[in-house]
Amino acid sequence: MKNIKPLNRKAHQIETAPTEEAAEKVVAMSAAVAGCSTTFDPGWELDPFMGVAGLCQPMEADLYGCSDPCWWPAQVPDTLHNYPKWNEGRDDAARDWQSLQSVFPK
Amino acid sequence: MLTKNKLTTACLANATAAALLTLYSAGVLAKDYIVTTARPDVLFVVDAKERKVVKTHKIPNTSMGNSPITVVPSRDGKVAYIIHNRWETVSGIDLENGKEVFRAELSEGEDLRGKAVFAMDLSPDGKELAVFVNPTRLLPGEYQVLDPYIAIYRTDAGTDAKPERKLPSPRRVSTLAYSAKGDTLYTFSWEMLKLDPKTGAVKGQHPWRSWKEPNRGEPDTLAIWPQWEQTNIFATPYYKVATDKEAGDPAALRAGIWALDLEKDTVSFKEFEDASVVLFSSAVNPVRRNEVYTVYTQLTRTDMKTGKMDRVDLDHTYYDVNVSSDGSELYIGGTQGDIAVYDSKSLKRIGNIRTPGGGDQVLSSLRIFKR
Repeated sequence: MKNIKPLNRKAHQIETAPTEEAAEKVVAMSAAVAGCSTTFDPGWELDPFMGVAGLCQPMEADLYGCSDPCWWPAQVPDTLHNYPKWNEGRDDAARDWQSLQSVFPK
Repeated sequence: MLTKNKLTTACLANATAAALLTLYSAGVLAKDYIVTTARPDVLFVVDAKERKVVKTHKIPNTSMGNSPITVVPSRDGKVAYIIHNRWETVSGIDLENGKEVFRAELSEGEDLRGKAVFAMDLSPDGKELAVFVNPTRLLPGEYQVLDPYIAIYRTDAGTDAKPERKLPSPRRVSTLAYSAKGDTLYTFSWEMLKLDPKTGAVKGQHPWRSWKEPNRGEPDTLAIWPQWEQTNIFATPYYKVATDKEAGDPAALRAGIWALDLEKDTVSFKEFEDASVVLFSSAVNPVRRNEVYTVYTQLTRTDMKTGKMDRVDLDHTYYDVNVSSDGSELYIGGTQGDIAVYDSKSLKRIGNIRTPGGGDQVLSSLRIFKR
């Protein structure tokens, strides 16, 4: 077995598990996790009427309403799980938006 | 030694004080206070008519890069319960002195994460707190989704509170609301379920997903704002597709208000327009109970009897609306760092209140109590 090396992350987790019980917790097959939200609807591109007049005005009014509950994680970093410090210290979106940075998948 | 005049004055003063106390107890002289939160960790109380922040408290041991959400004040206005800390903690804060008198951690150990997704309510006697919890097991390579539950806490359980009991629950619960008597816990999921708060047994339901109307599809709503304390009427806007219209027809999407009387256990609804604007949350006027107000980027007033609608544009988008006890004023909050005050008859803006520190309210509830 020492000449066999894990090729993917799951296999690596099984090999490096400290105990048999820990190895059993590694589920070999799983669906890809695309984000933290089950929401799948237009939001920051189009309103429900396929226009833009119904989007939040200004966008800063809704910015943290989308990041804090992980509403549209593809468009706005989710501060609920993956980017908890993205807007820390920037509590007024209308004032602080210029200091917000982009995030990149880990 | 008291002279006769002094004695008379003292007696009058005592009588006046007694009369005021009676009026105060009867709620006649009680004032409206708004309680809500703002980023990053601020719980604050506003004297509504004075437009003045009178108490500001820090929510202890919370996350600073995420905002508090649901707020539930006790009916006597002494304690407010808040979901915060990335939705993994519920705290009860004494509104007078800011002391944390209740705290429940929803996550356990390193690998069991519990999140409270908006739905929370306090029993009318103030003794029990119901919280909808979504638990997830964090395995090395994936998340294992566990069954959700409704945790029932005793409010005197202190700052290391554990659930008194856990009730089985459907998924996707967005609202929990006790009936006025406390004998039913309304649980809004695919249907508006009526649960026994002691056992979790389903006693009945009001149809939502199974709500059938001719030429109408299933209703759609986003009911995550508890703001029924002034009337004991839960109200939420909804949308329905008109199945007898062609897609693209402006009349193919209809909007209405759905209301549940938490005292009488009765439902009413009014479809009032071809959907033309986004509607987020609603509140009923406690004096003119046919009037319902809804906010988002517009403020809308709907007559539940006639369907007549009045609408004004707001200066920015808001999520919450609530109504003063005398029915004259509307308090509109959520999203940014201000609460707008509107006249409920003219729909004109008559005041504004900034959050302490200017932080955004984001998804916080905007609640009212009298004291």
